[in-house]
Amino acid sequence: MKKIFLQSATIVHPEFKSKESQDVLIIEGRIAEIGSGLKIPVGAEVIDAKDCFLSVGFCDLNVNFGEPGLETKESMASGCAAALAGGITALALMPNTTPAFHSKSEISYILNKSKGEGVDIYPIGAISEDRKGEQMAELYDMKLAGALAFSDGDHPVKDTGLMSRSLLYAKGIEAKLFAYAEDPGLAGKAPVNEGPMSTTLGLKGNPALAEELMIARDIELAAYHDTAIHFSTISSAKSVQLIREAKAKGIKVTCDVAAHHLVFTEDVLSDFDSYYKVKPPLRTENDRQALMAGLKDGTIDAIVSQHTPHEIEFKNVEFGLAAFGMIGLQTLLPMAIQAGLKPTELVDKLVVNPRKILGVDLPKIALGEQANLVLFDPKASWIFDSSSNRSRSANSPLMGQKLTGKVVWACNKGQSFRSNY
Amino acid sequence: MADQHPKLSTKHLLGIKDLTTEDIQLIFETADNFKDVLNRPIKKVPSLRDITIANIFFENSTRTKLSFELAEKRLSADTISFAASSSSVSKGETLIDTVNNILAMKVDMVVMRHPHAGAGLFLSKHVDAQIVNAGDGAHEHPTQALLDAFSIREKYGDVSGKKVAIIGDILHSRVALSNILCLQKLGAEVMVCGPTTLIPKYIGTLGVKVEHDLLKALNWCDVANMLRIQLERQDIRYFPSLREYTMLYGLNKEILDSLNKEITVMHPGPINRGVEITSDVADSKQSIILDQVENGVAIRMAVLYLLAGHRA
Repeated sequence: MKKIFLQSATIVHPEFKSKESQDVLIIEGRIAEIGSGLKIPVGAEVIDAKDCFLSVGFCDLNVNFGEPGLETKESMASGCAAALAGGITALALMPNTTPAFHSKSEISYILNKSKGEGVDIYPIGAISEDRKGEQMAELYDMKLAGALAFSDGDHPVKDTGLMSRSLLYAKGIEAKLFAYAEDPGLAGKAPVNEGPMSTTLGLKGNPALAEELMIARDIELAAYHDTAIHFSTISSAKSVQLIREAKAKGIKVTCDVAAHHLVFTEDVLSDFDSYYKVKPPLRTENDRQALMAGLKDGTIDAIVSQHTPHEIEFKNVEFGLAAFGMIGLQTLLPMAIQAGLKPTELVDKLVVNPRKILGVDLPKIALGEQANLVLFDPKASWIFDSSSNRSRSANSPLMGQKLTGKVVWACNKGQSFRSNY
Repeated sequence: MADQHPKLSTKHLLGIKDLTTEDIQLIFETADNFKDVLNRPIKKVPSLRDITIANIFFENSTRTKLSFELAEKRLSADTISFAASSSSVSKGETLIDTVNNILAMKVDMVVMRHPHAGAGLFLSKHVDAQIVNAGDGAHEHPTQALLDAFSIREKYGDVSGKKVAIIGDILHSRVALSNILCLQKLGAEVMVCGPTTLIPKYIGTLGVKVEHDLLKALNWCDVANMLRIQLERQDIRYFPSLREYTMLYGLNKEILDSLNKEITVMHPGPINRGVEITSDVADSKQSIILDQVENGVAIRMAVLYLLAGHRA
């Protein structure tokens, strides 16, 4: 029987009140003992956790793997390994695949494929067939197959009528829509934010206005139908303000932000580094500060990795041709820490709120419970390189860098990760 | 030329952004010498005798390509020219592979035009050759800006203090950005003028004046640099028709004569006669369009010669 003994960890969980550090014994993936000053059982692997925080594993609401169709970017196995190494024990998979998750088949395929992995996988079904924004997909059938929420992934739903009907239909079947807010006519094919940087780079700019107009539209639709909506990866100051005002009015709106938008601005693009080419684009310092303020005052509910794996060939090309996105499962915690979040805030934004948004129960840290846990040291550093990277892809601007905030150990469904770096 | 081979502060010429004012002055002084050479019966010098230069144009060009080729030949460099289709990526070969294949044949310098902004910089990080940017998307076209400023200097003796209006499609122009940076480094005042839809929203952050009225711009400036309407680079329509563009921004003799001073007219070519500029203006004595072309060869000789200094 495999026994793990976490010695002197600080437990952070809404239902766990003791501030005193605790020893936790895990046997075969279940919590067997919790208490202070426990005796180390014979044969247990001891992890010194005195500088560490123990929480339920992170839940990431915006992840891309390559299955089906793009397995060379990320397989279910490599993606789950990277997630667990990032302390992520639950994640929502976006339907940006070929084919998209737009019917029961793909949802069932993903759920079957994820059996035996140490990560709870929640596939997000597409709102429209092939994510084309024309015909509504079979949302109810996908819901029966296990989809908890719906989104057209990185395709905005351009047609206001379709968005309106989808919100209403989803309300009827008790499902939630995740919206990627961007007006395609305004955004065009611009690869970067419209701002001083796009001007000096000679690149077309994607204005923050393209995001804000769609957020304003969808807030009005959600209010009109008295239903909930979740915005994925908001990026601008005005977006934060629109959502803040909507929440104050009692509209059922939630939102998340990508970790990289909390630490980078468009200024990093001065030498056309395609590893920073993401969608929505990195914006200005003013936007970044507004996102931080939104996190602090509760306007922004969750932080996501927006993990988007690509082979080197998709990045090592001219900036205009490079694919959007960076991998982020293992850098989610370090980036959130770099952004200045404290352990209790991390647990709010990475553990508790994302599960509320998905509508899944928060696992407990209690005797006899299955261990769905992450042990992290917010001050420890590690190097993110080819030996520590568990993803099949390596498209991250942080590759090769020393990062602060380390997942020491993580465990879920009997699978565990133990840092050896 | 001095015995000691002078050189630029940068190994590549990717944009005006990277040049110091001293670099620009050095290029001008060197170009003065080469311009003398070009007016001699024997127009050739042996400066780059042991250098091989590849001209790779992923986008159509007549004047810039010819100008570079001629500059290279006048410097006695060995040259190869390669007009690649910009769709070579869709055929499966990446830019790095294309260029490395050419470099495998022992090439020292690459002069490249490319439809994507930043392509020159990208290449400079990935291949072992000196890169000269002959235009990358709507980013920079440094030798054009240098020859434009050189032509202003030739006409007025100095660029400093001059007022230059760049008129036309600023959004899609690489000439505009390089010109703004180059003229500012030399102490000129710059204004951009064009349709509201073709002026980037944040252009003011570059420290230029913005004007939408052609007549006001012309009355303000000493030099008007008329840009070509780049219809091929517009993926969507930014103005209703060329006819309407010409009504608002076409420079004709009547407007030119109505000004209270004699301004100089420039154009980076190729000219759309009757669109941004009428024939009588293009061919008038106020136009220095053909001087620009002539100076282009001297400027490109200077740039190549000074970059080769890094090899010594």
